[in-house]
Amino acid sequence: MGKIVLSAILALSFSTSLSHAQSTWTGGDDLPTNPLACDGAAATAAAVPYDGGEPTDAPDRKGKTLTVVDVPKLVGIGYFNATSKGIAEAAAEMGTMNAKTDGPSRANIDDQITLIDNYITSGVDGILFAANDPVAISPVLKKALAAGINVVGYDANSQPDARQWFVNQAEFNGIAKSMIDAMAAEIGEDGAFAIVTSTFTTPNQARWIAEMEAYQSACYPNMKWLETVEAQEDNILSFNQANTLINKYGDEMKGILGMTSVATPAAADAVTQAGQCGNVAVVGLATPNAMKPYVASDCVKSVVLWNPVDLGYAAAYVLRAVADGTLQPGATSVEAGKLGELQVINGSEILLGAPFVFTKDNINDFDF
Amino acid sequence: MSMAVNLPPVRPQTDHKRPGLLRRIVAEYGQECVVLAAIMLLFVVVTLVNPRFVNANNLVTIFSGNAYIAVAAIGMAMVIMTGNIDVSVGALIGVLATVAGTLAVSGYPIWFALVAPIFVGMAVNTVIGVLVAYAKIPSIVVTLGALSILRGGLISVTGGTWISDLPPDFLIAQKRLLGLPVPFLFMIVLTIAAFLWMRYSAFGRSIYAIGGNPEAAVATGIPVERRLVSVFAIHGAFAGVAAILFATQLQVIQSTVPPNLELTIITATVIGGVSILGGSGTVIGSTLATILFATIGSALIFINVSAYWLRAVIGLLILATVLADMLRRHRRT
Amino acid sequence: MNLRSLIRHETFLALLLVLVLVVLSWQSDRFFTVSNLLNQGRLMTEIGLIAIAMTFVIATGGIDLSVGSILGLVAILLGVFWQNVGMPLPMAIVAAIAAGTLAGFMNGFIITRFRVPPLIATLATLALYRGLAEGISQARSVRGYPDWFYVLGQGQVLGVPTQLWILFAAAIIAAIILAYTRWGRTVYAIGSNEVASRFSGLSVEKTKLALYTASGFAASLAAVIFVSRVSTTRSDMGTGIELDAITAVVLGGTSIFGGRGTILGTIIGLCLIQALKNGLSLAGVKGDGTIMLIGAVLILAILVSNIFGRSGSR
Repeated sequence: MGKIVLSAILALSFSTSLSHAQSTWTGGDDLPTNPLACDGAAATAAAVPYDGGEPTDAPDRKGKTLTVVDVPKLVGIGYFNATSKGIAEAAAEMGTMNAKTDGPSRANIDDQITLIDNYITSGVDGILFAANDPVAISPVLKKALAAGINVVGYDANSQPDARQWFVNQAEFNGIAKSMIDAMAAEIGEDGAFAIVTSTFTTPNQARWIAEMEAYQSACYPNMKWLETVEAQEDNILSFNQANTLINKYGDEMKGILGMTSVATPAAADAVTQAGQCGNVAVVGLATPNAMKPYVASDCVKSVVLWNPVDLGYAAAYVLRAVADGTLQPGATSVEAGKLGELQVINGSEILLGAPFVFTKDNINDFDF
Repeated sequence: MSMAVNLPPVRPQTDHKRPGLLRRIVAEYGQECVVLAAIMLLFVVVTLVNPRFVNANNLVTIFSGNAYIAVAAIGMAMVIMTGNIDVSVGALIGVLATVAGTLAVSGYPIWFALVAPIFVGMAVNTVIGVLVAYAKIPSIVVTLGALSILRGGLISVTGGTWISDLPPDFLIAQKRLLGLPVPFLFMIVLTIAAFLWMRYSAFGRSIYAIGGNPEAAVATGIPVERRLVSVFAIHGAFAGVAAILFATQLQVIQSTVPPNLELTIITATVIGGVSILGGSGTVIGSTLATILFATIGSALIFINVSAYWLRAVIGLLILATVLADMLRRHRRT
Repeated sequence: MNLRSLIRHETFLALLLVLVLVVLSWQSDRFFTVSNLLNQGRLMTEIGLIAIAMTFVIATGGIDLSVGSILGLVAILLGVFWQNVGMPLPMAIVAAIAAGTLAGFMNGFIITRFRVPPLIATLATLALYRGLAEGISQARSVRGYPDWFYVLGQGQVLGVPTQLWILFAAAIIAAIILAYTRWGRTVYAIGSNEVASRFSGLSVEKTKLALYTASGFAASLAAVIFVSRVSTTRSDMGTGIELDAITAVVLGGTSIFGGRGTILGTIIGLCLIQALKNGLSLAGVKGDGTIMLIGAVLILAILVSNIFGRSGSR
């Protein structure tokens, strides 16, 4: 028995000593941040020259029917169901695009790369992607460009020169501002909150958290950042982690920020089942359908998201415009069907718009 | 049930002497005791650091949040005791959860939606059992294949759509009975029932016999093939119950399963002392190991271990538990 | 060990592979082209290297589930050694591979010294090594390697993807060792009857230790190639690769109970899976349909081989 106790104590002391070394972890990455002004004044963006790539010897696709494959990060989650719905909608509207969605069954960089590689060989006209990793996906996308395929990203970017355009759902600092503003409105400018995210290696989430940190320290310096926990893309684990946070901090914690469309409803469910509605606010990124029960019961006041159906829709239109040659490097805007004119930012990105905040008043208008 | 007479005792080494009760329990259920000791130690240490660890709500989170894994591990324990393995159970749970949710939202009676996954699970695993027992394909091969088929099939059929708008009566994992959460009660009742059944019924003891020594089991008249199929079917039923607890915990059912769920279940089973070579272990051990994992997960948040190192610490604790058990066994022999 | 039954499974599998190739090339004219086949070779190298080492491990009746985690750990260490420690890249590669080989040695040490069953030992180190990768990386990716490094994963030598040469070499060396050396026979002997091998004076422990170390080495090599192919490091690299490798090995006819299996079988199994993944995708089948079919092929191949090859004996 002695040895067992000893080994367990060793393990524990190891873990606690680590905890002292690492107590300030928030889950953000260490790239430079660019927080927006607290009053929401638009930042003056410097014009950046086009930095996207170009397909080599692309055939003239103007007006021709395009075969397009959409490769999201993974299939089987509500969010990417919505984007592929938008793509299908746009394709049906145009009548000159055959689009199909095929993604890995888990968010795995290698599976995604292999799929794209196969579609390059099969000879598609266009590839739409949401990258699991911005760098890892780039070699295979460059290969697609070299094969004369039009490549457009959405949701999660690659390196700029590995694709032509990227449809940006909302800028990182914009999301960060919406999230922190919504949280501050609910828990006050001196409230304490914790975060439930997916994994540390998910680039978008790490970016949002870093931007949130920068914005919060500039605009709400008295808000208290408790901790960030990881919960994969697993709803029961997210639920358990949120519960543990509630149990650990009790009344000290006034809010939970959910960073994924899986974590946010699970956190809302944890708050509901713990009977803490009204005491612990939940703000987060989520799809409206998953959040309707909690918004209806007044447990959740605001859900932040862009419209993923629109995101997919815009991506399909951008691809069409690129193939037709109507969207050229240096353009400042692009026409995207029912969405109208979309602005070009950061050289080769197309901005969908400001993030949308769903509330009880409007959430039932959306179905995705 | 006269065949039980001829069976070898469950753990032969225990019948030598008759020392004190505690010693006998420690000798017979060594690994279970190691895991239990680890859980208690964690509780003591973490409570000293942060007393909120033992508040009622957190106990519910620890003991109830992972109950579905414990229930699935009961069936897995039986399969492993026969010297087989099942790596497809995670995907099966995902399929069964979707079956339950789909039935519940398409107007079938609630009881039907809750019972159907159990029978579907049994049906699927009966096929697996037949392939293992009669076609003599190693279980890891069959279940690796089944893993791909079930995982791919789930996404093909659902198209990745989540199920929401579940009727409130369907969400049984959120309910309480006698003040205790339902998943916790399921875990405890099923664990004790399975433990007693495996220890005292002829069928249950034959599971140990098949895993310990298949030739001897045949010689004593145990219909090994039929028993194997039954064990897989029972495992499917437990997967069905696990799927229901999984599906009814939240108000939304995802059509994906937690990544590596099967590995978590297998790890809980073997850490709980079920021998991978078959023939020994108890389902109490697998349930305790699941509780240990939940305790570790919660403890690490309470004592502020950086989330970056969380998995390394879990791995280290698992390794420590395994090595402690091996040292204990070596000292005894 | 029955040589005839050995041959039979591999022959059957090879026929199946030919059939699949014919059907798939009939489905899509872009499938059976030199450039596509070479490209598929590039994509299967990492799993291939791991599967070759895994064939030895499984032939002794063992298993190594930690290979995916070792791959992740080595990828992270490669980046950390190069960028944070400041080693020159070649030295960082060697150091990272050495660390991964040590991780494999640790597996072997735990298995032989403490007599922990391989499945349990490597389940524990699966969690531990992945955890170390996450802890060390702090979720940071290391990018921006010098161009010469990408030759390994993205370049070509004599018109063939660089890493495919490594896979060829590894397969030939492994096949010779397993089929023609005393050491190879020891592997089969351990798998057939470990106790008897020990009594007949074979160095069971040493052999097993060497095999798990080799498995760690193979995973490390795969890690370096993988990093070079995707030009970045992440702590979640290689997740789930152990099951892919095991699938290839058992499809190739290696008995999970040990004592039987060939490198040729593993390679054919590997090619069969890769051909299905690629060819079905070209023929318009989606990813989820493809993995269903691979699952079915795995079960059916072993079933048919059981029915025709051996009369029900394991």
